[in-house]
Amino acid sequence: MIIAEQKPIQEIKAMIAGYQKVLIVGCDTCVTICMAGGRKEVGIIASCLRMALQIDRKKPQLIEDCIQRQCEWEFVDTLKDKVDGVDAILSSACGVGVQALAERFPNKPVYPALNTTFMGMPNEHGLWVENCRGCGNCGLGRFGGICPIARCSKGLLNGPCGGSQNGKCEVSKEMDCGWQLIYGRLKTLNQLDQLEDILLPKDWSTDRDKGQRKMFRGDVYYEQTV
Amino acid sequence: MADKVGSVLVIGGGIGGIQTSLDLVESGLKVYLLERTHSIGGVMAQLDKTFPTNDCAMCTISPKLVECGQNLNIEIITNAELGSVAGKAGNFEVEIVKHARYIDDAKCTGCGVCAKSCPIDAIDEYNYGLCERRATYIRYPQAVPRAFGIDKDKCIGCGLCESLCLRDAVIYGDKEQVKKINVGSIILSTGFESFDPALKQDYGYGEYPNVVSSFEFERILSASGPYKGHIFRASDAKMPEKIAWIQCVGSRDRGVERPFCSSVCCTYAVKQAIIAKEHIREGLDTTIFYMDMRTYGKGFEQYFNRAKNEHGVRFVCSRIHTVDPGSDGNLKLVFSDDDGQLREEEFDMLVLSVGFKPTKNVEEFANRLGIKLNEYGFCKTSTFSPIETSRAGVYVAGAAQEPKDIPATVMEASGAAACAEALLAEAKGSQIVKKEYPPEKDVSGLKPRIGVFVCKCGINIAGVVDVPAVTEYAATLPDVAYAEYNLYTCSQDTQVRIKEIIEEKQLNRVIVASCTPRTHEPLFQDTIRLAGLNKYLFEMANVRDQCSWVHASNPEAATEKAKELIRMAVGRAAFLEPLHTIPMSVIRRALVIGGGVAGMNASLSLANQGFEVELVEHEPELGGNIRHIHFTLEGDKPQEYLNSLIEQVQAHKLISVHLESQVKKVSGHVGHFESEVRSKKLEVRKIEHGVVIVATGGVESKPIEYLYGKDDRVITQRELEEHLANSQSTIRNPHSVVMIQCVGSRNEERPYCSRICCTQAVKNALKLKEQNPDTQIYILYRDMRTYGFREEYYYQARKAGVIFIRYDEQAKPVVSNNGRLKVEVKDPILGADVVLQPDMVVLSVAIDSHLENENLAPLLKVTLDASKFFLEAHMKLRPVDFGSDGMFLCGLAHSPKLIEESIAQAQAAAGRAATILNKERVEAGGVVSCVEEKKCVACLTCIRMCPYDVPFINKAGVAEIEAVKCHGCGICASECPAKAIQLLHYRDPQVVAKVDAMFG
Repeated sequence: MIIAEQKPIQEIKAMIAGYQKVLIVGCDTCVTICMAGGRKEVGIIASCLRMALQIDRKKPQLIEDCIQRQCEWEFVDTLKDKVDGVDAILSSACGVGVQALAERFPNKPVYPALNTTFMGMPNEHGLWVENCRGCGNCGLGRFGGICPIARCSKGLLNGPCGGSQNGKCEVSKEMDCGWQLIYGRLKTLNQLDQLEDILLPKDWSTDRDKGQRKMFRGDVYYEQTV
Repeated sequence: MADKVGSVLVIGGGIGGIQTSLDLVESGLKVYLLERTHSIGGVMAQLDKTFPTNDCAMCTISPKLVECGQNLNIEIITNAELGSVAGKAGNFEVEIVKHARYIDDAKCTGCGVCAKSCPIDAIDEYNYGLCERRATYIRYPQAVPRAFGIDKDKCIGCGLCESLCLRDAVIYGDKEQVKKINVGSIILSTGFESFDPALKQDYGYGEYPNVVSSFEFERILSASGPYKGHIFRASDAKMPEKIAWIQCVGSRDRGVERPFCSSVCCTYAVKQAIIAKEHIREGLDTTIFYMDMRTYGKGFEQYFNRAKNEHGVRFVCSRIHTVDPGSDGNLKLVFSDDDGQLREEEFDMLVLSVGFKPTKNVEEFANRLGIKLNEYGFCKTSTFSPIETSRAGVYVAGAAQEPKDIPATVMEASGAAACAEALLAEAKGSQIVKKEYPPEKDVSGLKPRIGVFVCKCGINIAGVVDVPAVTEYAATLPDVAYAEYNLYTCSQDTQVRIKEIIEEKQLNRVIVASCTPRTHEPLFQDTIRLAGLNKYLFEMANVRDQCSWVHASNPEAATEKAKELIRMAVGRAAFLEPLHTIPMSVIRRALVIGGGVAGMNASLSLANQGFEVELVEHEPELGGNIRHIHFTLEGDKPQEYLNSLIEQVQAHKLISVHLESQVKKVSGHVGHFESEVRSKKLEVRKIEHGVVIVATGGVESKPIEYLYGKDDRVITQRELEEHLANSQSTIRNPHSVVMIQCVGSRNEERPYCSRICCTQAVKNALKLKEQNPDTQIYILYRDMRTYGFREEYYYQARKAGVIFIRYDEQAKPVVSNNGRLKVEVKDPILGADVVLQPDMVVLSVAIDSHLENENLAPLLKVTLDASKFFLEAHMKLRPVDFGSDGMFLCGLAHSPKLIEESIAQAQAAAGRAATILNKERVEAGGVVSCVEEKKCVACLTCIRMCPYDVPFINKAGVAEIEAVKCHGCGICASECPAKAIQLLHYRDPQVVAKVDAMFG
């Protein structure tokens, strides 16, 4: 899922300080689960903002709401009535949600309450790790199910660099060397011979560097096929 | 034969007596709880913190005190002693002598006006004489019963308290009363007294003001103690910079006729040193002078290591001979350091770790009761019946039997309850009082009509807060239909009045503004329930403890605060909803996992109480570890005991034994579990049961050091015992033997102490000596941990010529083989390397947790500790309960322990299990968490955060919390990021209304 974290309240406060009536919208999907922007966090952000603004003797009206997925038009549309009455929207969704709101409500300024960090999972409760970079061309089968692009700091494809020490990456003592993990896993699987194949430079054309990516599925995307 | 009586006399209201009383009433027996002093609580209520968790002793015992005080079927008789005892098991006639208290504890509200006005000072025994109290006093603020008493030895009869008490509770002419009762059984939990350190004259107690006893130091550390939690020394009220503890004062000392070990002092000294360091943050230097560090209990060794390595407590293995005065009130000690050199050092303050002794006049008490004592004056019991005294129907729990710590006491207390319950099985319920309530009124949809009752608490509240003004204000608040004030809202006549007013004014919410809900909420809830209102339609405002008491110097502000507190209560009351519990029927059958000594004893105890038991053992025969034990130090015959135990289990018609079987699945909840047991032939049997007892045992670890497995002459203690018991064995008579202790224990891999190995080594050494006194035996040890009365055998072994050589963990013995076995060890006292050439090396190996634990724990959804032993709900006060209701543990599954301790714990588990099986129904619901399904996003937060593993994701893909399992702690509700969970009675609108009212 998408992992995000809340922006510092001062930063959020600066963005909405000039508005009288603001709708704060949470999202019930990824950001609820990673405890960054769900119903409870919306309440906390609103309370913090009320207190922070009160210091400046401002009393804006903050309306709290949370929808099932901010990245779907149908759910976003349910906000229409509430949006009509406000001066601005603060979205505590990932960047996708913020943009969905901005696109649907072009006349309202939309501000992000979160920083969208990565695609990952909770390793433990309260600790999230990035495991996929979304390169568009998955090679996990070659690497024992551990992605060298997301988990090797250099994204190397043919083994570790000289900075791998005692299983850790030279970037940080806290960070496992992705390649050490791959080696360990392949050893367990008895597939170490796979490492003997030298991989040619990866085809990065599916990665995000070529601008916004789009994808369609012919059998369900009717307009394309018609 | 006279009919059995369904009541029990518990003598001694310390933690043991309290636990046994609570278990007994839950299992349907009435309790008379006899206490010598004015209030229950015992020594635990005088402790500051408890090891090894550093929990506050008062915080953990206080809820139990309150529970005891409130239970209709526990009659607490304070200030009383046992008179005569006649009759026999099942029906004793007992006389109780109740000394005059001079204040009626039924009338006294504990307001304390009497003590405040009392002009006479007396020595405060609760604080071990470190400060004074008045002649009219309460032992401590949280005391139960919360009632004062008069110390007539000191009282001058001035009459002030009598004239000031508005409840007329003072009775100057109070007389001693004799009460006769009939009980089916008697449980002793009379505890211990601490050794008087003045008897060790060389330590200067009583002579040098800065020498205190460890019990006094406990009070000094306590926030409610004589110095309010500040550590001062008596001579100059200075904060000490260097404190030393001397261990074994009045323990392990034949010179003062205390040859036994007091078992707890090592660990409490470690605790006191840690806590003292927390109090005096900067640079407190702490040193503990010890003979052997006996931190043998569960988690104690790790605690000791933390003290040493993290807190910097210094440990010096040296017996102090004399304490001399030093400069400036300091104390001078001479001791031998690690190299055997004599050193002299001064300390600012000295704590004497005093041992246990039997209670005063114990012989006379034992005579009256007709029970035998052992040679030390403690209650005599036997290895296989550790809770039974010499008189049938009389049981013992706690330090009255042997010095021991709180968890062991609590275990025996539950075990003693189980013994009494088995004895009185057919009389259960015969003397239990149950209250009848009218049907509940339906208040749904009705506009709130709130009644407010403000208590003056004599002058306790009214002396500071303007109660009439507050009441007048309360009447103006929204939804308040009625307000009045009372002299004592908690008095019996006021309860009647509240009921009448609820009727008359058609109230549907009630608020009492008085003292603390901790002690009084249940009383008022009961009153409104008797008036037909759901008990959750009650709210309390604490205008005494949190207002008049703390703002006594500012009456005006206190009055304003009282108004605010009531306004908040009113705000919330309007949103209160009735809550109902759903009765769930209990399957009165237990599943016991493990057929060793613990499992069989637990099964028998339950079966003797009339409950069915399904006993599952994975081996082809019952017995477990005791199969390998052939003799004990006390001269018992374990194999005979085992055979009779197996016979009893197999013959009992309520016990079904499943051999070569394993539990494969467990579902359900307390009162109704469904489990699958699979036999070796893969037959699956489904069992429905109300409780689970885990008794999976432990295993002797296989050593990897000291040539074990490479040389036949290197064996384990258990293997030696097999040889010693086998008359055919060829190696029964070695010329010389070296035993090595702590093989695999107390190291990085197993940081715990295996507890039994020191005793086992002494046992086998004595057996070898008995067979051939010329056998040379060397025991290489780190600390000899022959705790309690086992110390005597350590002494006997030394007397028989067994040579004990201490070794350091850093310089372990080295065993080699050059044809002959060779053992090299450095003797720290001689400072020399010792080379031994024994015929045999015997290893005292560690006890491991059972491998099965790792399969079982996830099935039961219970937790294992770092060493894979099962983790109990609370180390001190819930030693045989799991965090999840209806599940219990005993024996080596919990931690390594001796046979008698396993048996006591097994009986405890049975006692605790019986508190559930005895009920026809368990009540589910009330204050529990509820999931609003459409808001749930299945984020798993509740599942990860619940300390009881209750929530799960159901078939609909959302979190579900079964009311019957939920403990109502509210953690999930506060953590849920989707706000999908609410804790009933503390729903957001209810809490928010209260906060809004404060600001509004």
